[in-house]
Amino acid sequence: MKERIRTLLEDLLPLVNFDSDFLFAELDSLGVTTILMALSEEFNIQLEGPDATPKNLKSLDAIVKMVEEKLAQNA
Amino acid sequence: MLEEYIAVWANEHPDKLAVIDKDQTLTYSQLLQQVEARKRQLAADGLREGMAMPLAATTDADFLISYFAAHLLGAAVAPLAPQTSNIKLQTSNIKLQISDLLFTTGTTGKSKGVMLSHDAILADADNLVHAHGFTPDLTFILTGPLNHLGSLSKIWPTLMIGATLHIVESIKDPNPFFQAIDRAPGKVATFLVPANIKMLLTFSKKQLEQRAAKIDFLETGAAPISEADIHELCNTLPTTRLFNTYASTETGIVCTYNFNPQSSMFNVQCSMFNVQCSMFNVQSCVGKPMKNSSVFITPDGTVACKGKTLMTGYYNDDDLTREVLRDGVVYTHDQGYIDESGCLHLAGRTDDIINVGGYKVNPIEVENTALTCPFVADCVCVPAPHPVLGTTLHLIVVTRDNEPLDKRALATFLASKLDHYKLPQRFSQTDKLKRTFNGKLDRKAYCE
Repeated sequence: MKERIRTLLEDLLPLVNFDSDFLFAELDSLGVTTILMALSEEFNIQLEGPDATPKNLKSLDAIVKMVEEKLAQNA
Repeated sequence: MLEEYIAVWANEHPDKLAVIDKDQTLTYSQLLQQVEARKRQLAADGLREGMAMPLAATTDADFLISYFAAHLLGAAVAPLAPQTSNIKLQTSNIKLQISDLLFTTGTTGKSKGVMLSHDAILADADNLVHAHGFTPDLTFILTGPLNHLGSLSKIWPTLMIGATLHIVESIKDPNPFFQAIDRAPGKVATFLVPANIKMLLTFSKKQLEQRAAKIDFLETGAAPISEADIHELCNTLPTTRLFNTYASTETGIVCTYNFNPQSSMFNVQCSMFNVQCSMFNVQSCVGKPMKNSSVFITPDGTVACKGKTLMTGYYNDDDLTREVLRDGVVYTHDQGYIDESGCLHLAGRTDDIINVGGYKVNPIEVENTALTCPFVADCVCVPAPHPVLGTTLHLIVVTRDNEPLDKRALATFLASKLDHYKLPQRFSQTDKLKRTFNGKLDRKAYCE
């Protein structure tokens, strides 16, 4: 799951360092939107603006956790 | 000067909230005290009348305090993106009465400094107060960068009328934006570029709908808004006045149009800006000139602007100033027409400038920068469709010896040289670029 998300997002946002623990600070609003759109489409989950918190987007691990929680809600 | 209004409100309504940011709230009285203290500090540091002060445009009250303090000393302020460090100002030749020096993309690919006078800023503020109906009980929520006219210019009418400014860092996390709406004691207003509107409609529509009754007006501009977003925004915020505004750093804030016909049923003010243009042309309509402005169309079909909001000229570039500003008229590269009701409509540009989410980018600057990358042999930068921004940048590259393109390395290289909004979102590789018969890059061949 983590590598799938990494490959997907690194292709869309080649400038962003997804190994960073300060990922949210590195993203601009377009980057956040791109992540929400790509993950919603790839995993068929519903991500909304309020999900775009610094906590959820602080690192790649946090993003993976957010996706897993959304998938669990769908199940 | 705008600062005189702050002093008036500090005297008449000292406890009224002037500015809110994530760390502090300042009443008009506290704002004035802090501005006076910063003025003494800047004077002690050597800032004098006629100088220009570069100032990191952080989205907080501290920026405003330094901005107003420098003005009170007779200095001009050059708000710069917080990460910018490569603009050098020769402070000795700034004209007196210049308030702000805003850097914007040039047609030659170089940044140019646009000088704005105190009178132009007051005229812009007056235009907005009159046309959008700013009132003292309003809280205006600022979400954008303060080194660009779009957000910076909303400070002016808000404080001129004695209303409250609430600064949120950005809307990449929309929660503080919605909390700012919830926190306001009365009605709110905001300015959002079309890309941010699209973001909210895509991911936060429910949250926006829940707060619809509280949003008095929303202004957009700087880039075209899609017809689909116009309709969706009108349905989401049925009673909110939704303005599409025509403005640029050089012209100031010139025209505005309320594209939400339903809102006029709930609002009697600003009726002249509710005049309906042809329903087929709502998307292109930016309305009528505001009280301190006028527009006409040149024989070439481009928009020209007159009035008190125009720039004084370009910093250190008299030749370019004469090219753009002649006899009190700013000649733009925007193509347009004026309909039978007097509304201005925009219809594209005559140059290669690409509008990315409200930022104007010269593709030549991007190409020239990419060409300094060791593995780039040739390239062309063209607009490409984007689901949120509307338009983004696509860089098509020929690599040296046709080696495989390392997108990440190129993106990192460009990020070290260019402002973030000038960075392409898409990269692709080709073995040869198409050129026109006279050897120029055939940009149109690559436009999608």
